[in-house]
Amino acid sequence: MLSRISSRCALVGPSFRRGLATEAATVSSELPSSSQIAPERAKKSSRPCIKTAIILNRAPVLTRTPTPFEKAYYSYQARLRRALHNPFPYDFYFKQGTLLETRFNIEERKRERLAFGPGFLEKEDISEEKRQANIAAVEQLAQQEGEGEELMPRVNQADVNLDEKSLDRSGQCNMYLIVKVTEDGKDIWRFPQGNVEKGQLLHQAAQKNLLAECGDKMDTWIVGRVPVGVYKPEPLLGSPETVIFFHKAHIMAGQVTVDGKNIKDFCWMSKYEVRNKVPRPYWESVKDILSEF
Amino acid sequence: MASQASRKVSGYSLTRFQRAPRISRALARNPKTGLPQPPAKIITREFAPCRLEDHYHATLKDDLMYMTYTHEIGERRPPRQIRLKFDPEDPYTKYRKNPPVGGSQIGKKPAPPSTPENIVRLEKIQLHAMVKEAVANKGHLLPALMQMKALSGESFQGGGHHAVEGVQIIRGKKSVGGWVRPGIPIGVKVDLKGQAMYDFLGTLTEFVLPRLRDFPGIVLPPQSSSSNTPSTAAGVVSFGLPPTAIGFFPQIEINIDAYPKLTGMHIHFVTNATGVGAQDRARALVSGFQIPFVRR
Repeated sequence: MLSRISSRCALVGPSFRRGLATEAATVSSELPSSSQIAPERAKKSSRPCIKTAIILNRAPVLTRTPTPFEKAYYSYQARLRRALHNPFPYDFYFKQGTLLETRFNIEERKRERLAFGPGFLEKEDISEEKRQANIAAVEQLAQQEGEGEELMPRVNQADVNLDEKSLDRSGQCNMYLIVKVTEDGKDIWRFPQGNVEKGQLLHQAAQKNLLAECGDKMDTWIVGRVPVGVYKPEPLLGSPETVIFFHKAHIMAGQVTVDGKNIKDFCWMSKYEVRNKVPRPYWESVKDILSEF
Repeated sequence: MASQASRKVSGYSLTRFQRAPRISRALARNPKTGLPQPPAKIITREFAPCRLEDHYHATLKDDLMYMTYTHEIGERRPPRQIRLKFDPEDPYTKYRKNPPVGGSQIGKKPAPPSTPENIVRLEKIQLHAMVKEAVANKGHLLPALMQMKALSGESFQGGGHHAVEGVQIIRGKKSVGGWVRPGIPIGVKVDLKGQAMYDFLGTLTEFVLPRLRDFPGIVLPPQSSSSNTPSTAAGVVSFGLPPTAIGFFPQIEINIDAYPKLTGMHIHFVTNATGVGAQDRARALVSGFQIPFVRR
């Protein structure tokens, strides 16, 4: 009998299922106990104030520099592969005696020499004049094809000047946007955030708040519809609890514009630079969302 | 000079090693090929950092986890057993079939729970071409074979990996009146994994797809199509390229005159996604590598 009552009670009480945007701990603390068949309702606290914050990410634009170990490993594997590869079908790819074949031969000899040392290759059985003529012809071809176009350097002006507002700085890292605002008379750094209006979905509110704080001069995309993290600051006396949901977003183009009204300043920071800027409890709640590199 | 210094750590070069030891004893020879065999088994691995793989780990993996996460609390309930399972002891079921109730359940298989290990990832890319003319004359397979070889660079047990099968010849499986007979070679295929897979994907999205005329993207099925078919529960995204598009691959373009005829091919992106909605998750992943999709 008792068991039947308690099972009915469990059905009537708050459901075990919870949506994505609710907190687990409060639900489990409110579980009904079998002793209270008709529990007195706790005095209804005021509704929490829900906000959304956007972790706006600039994905890496450069490949990571390999570590010394990786460099040695890749170099060894490349040599191994070169030593073991199948014979190259020259006659399938090049017509006999063409300039392209000559160029390929010269380049290939250079690569072999780099991989296995100068003593590895046998001497070409062509005369010295012929060899020089080949090299000159290949150089001429390279000039015609406009080779020698220089690659962009991996370190650019923003890296040198430590320009924290630039999206070009630290191309190998994930960079995150943080903004400076005045809250309670203090200047603090945080991710862009805003309130959720009634009837608004979280991800829609996130997009709207981002545009409101950082201007519409950029092209962004909010990843998914569910928040990726939550932060609850210590509630002030007498004011309702605040819950901040974090959404991840990517910046595709454009830049933040400062209007001086909502935000005072902004900067793009990597994970460990963010740590030095934001308040400690805030950092604790977002640190696992940010990427190491 | 700076690059020279960065390549060296405390006097040792990172990219050049000692001279190889002198071979004092004659190497054993492979009885089949007659080639000298090194005394140890040599396997080649990644020989350069892989840009697209880095992109997957740095950006796509996080995003896909956020986009495909489904929240579940506690253990899942075991599936409802509609009919008794086959029991060899039971004389009733012993010699009877036990078909599933309500038709095939393949398309209704639930997706595995969302865990960090289950995030959708690319397992392999399969290139596959069928050459109809090869039924009459198997010599017509040769250009297709060479084309696959040039596109993939794979060879049988290449790099010492025993599981790498290189470019394979597909044979007919059954008899179709006046067309296919069992055992005749009618197509070629090649499986790409790891670094070769990402290299191919990069070539495809940067050199080939942007140069195609009238290719807005892989056409998605209409929204009204069934979501319970077996193909939606298998995480494979497939599309085809016509023979004209093959010429845009730089590997082929360099000596396109050497091929008597180019063959169109199917490209299958095989991911680890399974269960309901697997194809959608696979599409999300593949579109992250800049393969476009359109809905008609």
